[in-house]
Amino acid sequence: MYVWPGVAAIWGALLSGLACAGTYFAVDRGRRDLLPLARATYAAFTTCVVVASAILMTLLLQHRFDVAYVNSYSSLDLPFHFLFSTFWAGQEGSFLLWCFFGSLIGLFVWRSAKEQEAPVMIVYLSTFLGIIAILCKQSPFKLLPPPAPADGVGLNPLLQDPWMVIHPQVMFVGFASLSVPFSFAIAALWKKRWDGWIARTLPWVLLTFLTLGTAILMGGYWAYKTLGWGGYWGWDPVENTSLVPWLFTAALVHGMFLQKARKRHRKVNLILACTAYATILYGTFLTRSGVLADFSVHSFIDLGITGWLVAILGTFVALSIVMLAFRWRSIPTADDEEAPLLSRSVLFILGIATFCALGLVILLGTSAPLLTRLSGTPSQVQTSFYGATTAPAGFLLLLLSGLVAYVSWKGTSFREILLSSRRSLIVGAVATAVALGFGARDVASLVLLFTAAFAADMNLRAVLRKASSGKLGGAGGYLAHVGVGIMLAGVVVSGNYARIQRLTLKVDTPTKAGDATLTFLRVVPGTAERKQAMEVRVETARGKSYYAYPKMYENSRTGQLMANPSIRSGVLTDLYIAPQQYDPGQPEVVGRDVRLAKGTTTNVEGTGFTFREFNADRAAMMRGEKTVLVLTDLTITPPDGSQHDATIKYVFHLDERAPEPEELAVPGVPNAKMRVVAVSPNDGAVVLRLTGISKNPADEFQAATVESLSVEVTRKPLIALVWAGFYVMMAGGILAFIKRSGEARRAVVEAGRAAEAPRAEPAIPPTGPALPAHSRSRIE
Amino acid sequence: MKKGYWIAAALTLAFLGFGLTAFQKTLTPYLTFDEARKSRGVVQVMGGLDKESDRYDTAKEELSFDLVDPAGGRMPVTYRGTRPANFKDAISIVAIGRFQDGRIDAEKLLVKCPSKYQGPEVEKAYSASSPGKTS
Repeated sequence: MYVWPGVAAIWGALLSGLACAGTYFAVDRGRRDLLPLARATYAAFTTCVVVASAILMTLLLQHRFDVAYVNSYSSLDLPFHFLFSTFWAGQEGSFLLWCFFGSLIGLFVWRSAKEQEAPVMIVYLSTFLGIIAILCKQSPFKLLPPPAPADGVGLNPLLQDPWMVIHPQVMFVGFASLSVPFSFAIAALWKKRWDGWIARTLPWVLLTFLTLGTAILMGGYWAYKTLGWGGYWGWDPVENTSLVPWLFTAALVHGMFLQKARKRHRKVNLILACTAYATILYGTFLTRSGVLADFSVHSFIDLGITGWLVAILGTFVALSIVMLAFRWRSIPTADDEEAPLLSRSVLFILGIATFCALGLVILLGTSAPLLTRLSGTPSQVQTSFYGATTAPAGFLLLLLSGLVAYVSWKGTSFREILLSSRRSLIVGAVATAVALGFGARDVASLVLLFTAAFAADMNLRAVLRKASSGKLGGAGGYLAHVGVGIMLAGVVVSGNYARIQRLTLKVDTPTKAGDATLTFLRVVPGTAERKQAMEVRVETARGKSYYAYPKMYENSRTGQLMANPSIRSGVLTDLYIAPQQYDPGQPEVVGRDVRLAKGTTTNVEGTGFTFREFNADRAAMMRGEKTVLVLTDLTITPPDGSQHDATIKYVFHLDERAPEPEELAVPGVPNAKMRVVAVSPNDGAVVLRLTGISKNPADEFQAATVESLSVEVTRKPLIALVWAGFYVMMAGGILAFIKRSGEARRAVVEAGRAAEAPRAEPAIPPTGPALPAHSRSRIE
Repeated sequence: MKKGYWIAAALTLAFLGFGLTAFQKTLTPYLTFDEARKSRGVVQVMGGLDKESDRYDTAKEELSFDLVDPAGGRMPVTYRGTRPANFKDAISIVAIGRFQDGRIDAEKLLVKCPSKYQGPEVEKAYSASSPGKTS
């Protein structure tokens, strides 16, 4: 009975969370004396969530297989790091992980909220209470009816990968920290404090940008190196529902920066903060409720929480809409400025609009099965939908990000911008010319490539400009844009100009694949540390050679055939060899193989073979013995009309091939022999090899086949740019994060001072204050 | 500044309109095997894998297999691409592609797997070494 502390901790979290929200309400109503109590209940909430997580982790590490969750996702043979990751292998655990990070982040939120503490914390808590309520219903601490299983079912072999150990954690940090701007935005609407929240929440939004981005890339990189289909992005609903919040987060980062710089566009950010959070909830609903179960590779199966998820989504969307509608007219706007078209403000607004439009279109595509179900047959969009829509959006974003580096807030004339972007236009032209030289003819790809190179170079120059004036710390945005340019160039080239060949390599026979020569040498047997792999010698066009080891093995628990590609990464091209099929070949066989399904009669040359059943030594199997005796019961009816029962022995080997099986005479048929050569209990079938029964001897001869390996060989040009561009983008994000964290700390101190002197805080004038022109007009 | 918002709104609307057109163009309905046989465009069908029929054709370098539906219908599928990892374990397989020459020429396969690996240990251990690799 070691699960009750876990159950108690979850309920404790729900109750202390509710108590905390209630106490903060009282504080908000003027009972300032209750503030310490409110904070104490928040600490209790956090403690409960942390304790519940610790208990679940302990149960997993101790192999308590009578706990349903432990039994479903872990097993004795998992090494420690994979055992650790079974925590979030299922729905319940990953919800708990989300709350775990959320409750810890909350400890920082209350400290930074200051004068907004009560309203912010009420909203912030409520974003997690719904999930805690789901966990109360769908507890990870449910017990299985006795007896307790000796071993668990195990972790999905696809998830047994180091990347998958850290990917979900990074993802949920991003999800949890996006609750912060949402809470501050709702609190801002509630308390009509329009500007204070931006500076304090920008670091959290940047944190989401960084973590969610990293998680998405990790997932992509894992797919690239594990799944073997040669890509890193498949537009699966699970991928889309993490990409869309990230796009809205990027929009929010830009909007907040705009509001900070211009003290305008407040409505934009309030809407964006609400929408970004809503996309996370909507994505959670899509992937966790089972509504897309037939349309996604890895949606979770319905646990009966669909109603809850819809309720949570509905509540927060309704809350956002009602608050925005209610306050719409009192949100201060500034009409005093008419910025020219080519000004930073306009570029920012256009960029934000593009992010949002792209996010919405991707959501539209992902929701296709839901939308079409309303009007009949559920349908899904092809992946070409996403390609067609992201290309123009990507082009716009690149163009805007390139221009923004040399356009000032005040506005820049077209002539000026043309002059300052001359060098970058040349860089773009050179990149395009090189691509043309390599045979690229697709206009859309060339235009994208040109724009990407242009944008990267424009922003690179802006970074250098900042650095030379000693203000590299403020170049985060430009640096991120450089990364985006590099990354999208890599996406376009590696995606549109990959060369794919499929071929079968006969053993020891060199086979041409493009300008390389591949020779399949042998199967390298697996060991405890290494999976079984195929040894292929690759000779490149330049005469260099190396050995590639694409993996191909059977998962010993599930019997699944797993294949991982071999990737040779070069600066310019990745050579990607994905194994498709291994044929061990076979020596010539004398005999005729007949597959018999259980309970049916198969007629061979007038003799009926009825496979009644087999008897395996199941006890030996359960003990984990390597060889098991299987007895196959047959009834044989030869042409003479007699009927004979026969039992054939077959020794089943788990590790090696079976020794020569027992051969019996076929009763009633002179000279005919039979033996069992394979059994497959899952399908209820045996394979019987017969000799001396056929009239035509050719029927009993199977010619030898050669050992061979079928592979898909893909050349991915410039895929290194995707990863490199991503690192540059993240470096830019980190620079911005450091700068904005410093500003946020100062803003918190200021807000604290203002809060200590109540009523002294100057109300923000309804229209934007006249800005000191000197700091705004130049390029920052 | 109003100008900026107007352009942004127009841009967003234009993009959403474009998105909707692309949406309608690329929509692939879920069809039964019989409906798929009469269809022209890209469709998707779902069924269970007939393990007997699963083979890799080294001459054409493609995977071919049959899907069966609960009503006993059968739909041959060919696929030029990497066999998804959980292929043989799948509860059901979704093939997305065109119906041509009596089969679905799949561009994409979606494999639905049991989210939990269940069933008696014995059966799993057996299937682990059933010599089906050469098929």
